[in-house]
Amino acid sequence: MPRQDAEHPVTPGQESPRTVSRRSLLQGAAGAGAAGLAVTTLGAAALGVSATPAHAAPAHAADSTGQAAGDPIVVHVRDARTGDIEVFSGTTKTRLRDRDLAARISRATRQGR
Amino acid sequence: MSSHREAPEISKDPVADSTDVYAFVSPDQPGTVTLIANYIPLQGPAAGPNFYEFGDDVLYEIHVDNNGDGQADISYQFRFTTKVADPGTFLYNTGPITSLDSTSWNRRQTYSLTQVSNGRATTLGTNLACPPCNIGPLSTPNYPDLAAAAVHWLAGGVTAFAGQRAEAFYVDLGAIFDLGDLRPFENLHAQYGMNVFSGPGAGVNATNHLNVHSLAIQVPISTITKSGHPSIGVWTTASRQMASVWDSDTGTTTHSGPWHQVSRLGNPLVNEVLIPLGEKDRWNSLPPSDDKQFVSYVTKPGLAALLPALYPGVFPNLAALTASRADLQAILLTGIPAGIIPGFQNFTGDVLADMLRLNTSIPPTPADKQSIYGLLGSDVGGFPNGRRITDDVVAIELRAIAGVTYALVAKYTPDAAANKLTDGLTPASVAASQLSKFPYLGVPYSGFDNPS
Repeated sequence: MPRQDAEHPVTPGQESPRTVSRRSLLQGAAGAGAAGLAVTTLGAAALGVSATPAHAAPAHAADSTGQAAGDPIVVHVRDARTGDIEVFSGTTKTRLRDRDLAARISRATRQGR
Repeated sequence: MSSHREAPEISKDPVADSTDVYAFVSPDQPGTVTLIANYIPLQGPAAGPNFYEFGDDVLYEIHVDNNGDGQADISYQFRFTTKVADPGTFLYNTGPITSLDSTSWNRRQTYSLTQVSNGRATTLGTNLACPPCNIGPLSTPNYPDLAAAAVHWLAGGVTAFAGQRAEAFYVDLGAIFDLGDLRPFENLHAQYGMNVFSGPGAGVNATNHLNVHSLAIQVPISTITKSGHPSIGVWTTASRQMASVWDSDTGTTTHSGPWHQVSRLGNPLVNEVLIPLGEKDRWNSLPPSDDKQFVSYVTKPGLAALLPALYPGVFPNLAALTASRADLQAILLTGIPAGIIPGFQNFTGDVLADMLRLNTSIPPTPADKQSIYGLLGSDVGGFPNGRRITDDVVAIELRAIAGVTYALVAKYTPDAAANKLTDGLTPASVAASQLSKFPYLGVPYSGFDNPS
């Protein structure tokens, strides 16, 4: 579970920009074998996939990193055709638009069946 | 009711389902306010082998708005942790639980309590013990003392309790949701031509002998109000992380992502009987500050149209009342401004927001002077000025929707039946006695004795 203490207060609705490892996502997706939803525990070393928050949500608590080392990463490919991807980790959600990455995850899930 | 299983999605997630919110100036500590949020509805006490508990994966909050914008200025966050001492036994307890540190208690919960005020988080307590559920005379002897030991006195004058309590809300669920039957008046019901009822019946308390799980805090009034603004808005929320994945290797669920609100409750019965089915889940996901979009469901309540149809000839004045219900808007969405009820107001501003509003400057009404009908009973210490545990919020809201309170804001004569509406229940319909001190809600019913 992510840290939720006074130094890292929980923030309902909070989303923050974050970079995510393309390699770790693919490895996780292949291992999970799920159609459109993948989970990995490989961590999120930043390797250059640009990410933006889906929308600014109100937060009434102080900012937090929202993620601890070893937290699982869950990937939701909302639409493989447009490359619309959500990445969940810790207490953050990152929205990506990467058609190539979505296609590779889709291929990986097919290989996992 | 008042928010038990009130929306389709949350009815499938009882651990995160808020059921009632109470807010009142503490009768035995009048410099403080007691805020209570109940969760996990309709618990049968005989719940072994896995007794009810809070969700470790749920963020529970009690919010206070002290500037009238419908947004939280102070939030109290409860996070729970469950520990199993011996996973090798199937037992919740391996012997009598005589203290909160008993080695016989195999599965226990603790919690952290954090106050978030204007973005600043302060830990009020960590590793705070919950009591066990009330199992029976062998497992939980002397339960009242055991649970009392789980009242924690924390920094800043905050007192806290989290654990099982007796359900104090009384309602005739069985009749009301059988097409609006109020048993004391059921002979007047249209009955769809079936003539099922020939005379009035007695109310049946559907929640009697059931338990809930309560989050309760008692805080100094001075710490949650702004100078010169004694009226506050209170509500509770439960949130879950957005992504959940079942891990078949560990047999557990992984949770990731931002917290997403799945349950909300301020005034009783708002989402239950005013918000339409297609909007209930979305309403649960929003803050009170977004409630302007739902105002028509308050000012044109469907129930006000139903009553004359279900009880032909009983509510002619209500049937003819087509004006927007400014009275209900004030009671539920803004607070009641000065000048409506002599000597009273709990107005928090023009922002339309469903919050339980409490004017903290009004002292508690002495027990022998209280009316379970609150403001409708000329008792300014009760609902909708906050909500006490014994207030008959079903009758108060039925009567208000039936037109009794419209006479406060316009020239109108309520129907004679409007001020008599009730589901036939009173606090005497609740078997468990209320406590005279924090956390006030009664000792939970034991599984040994209930059902009997």
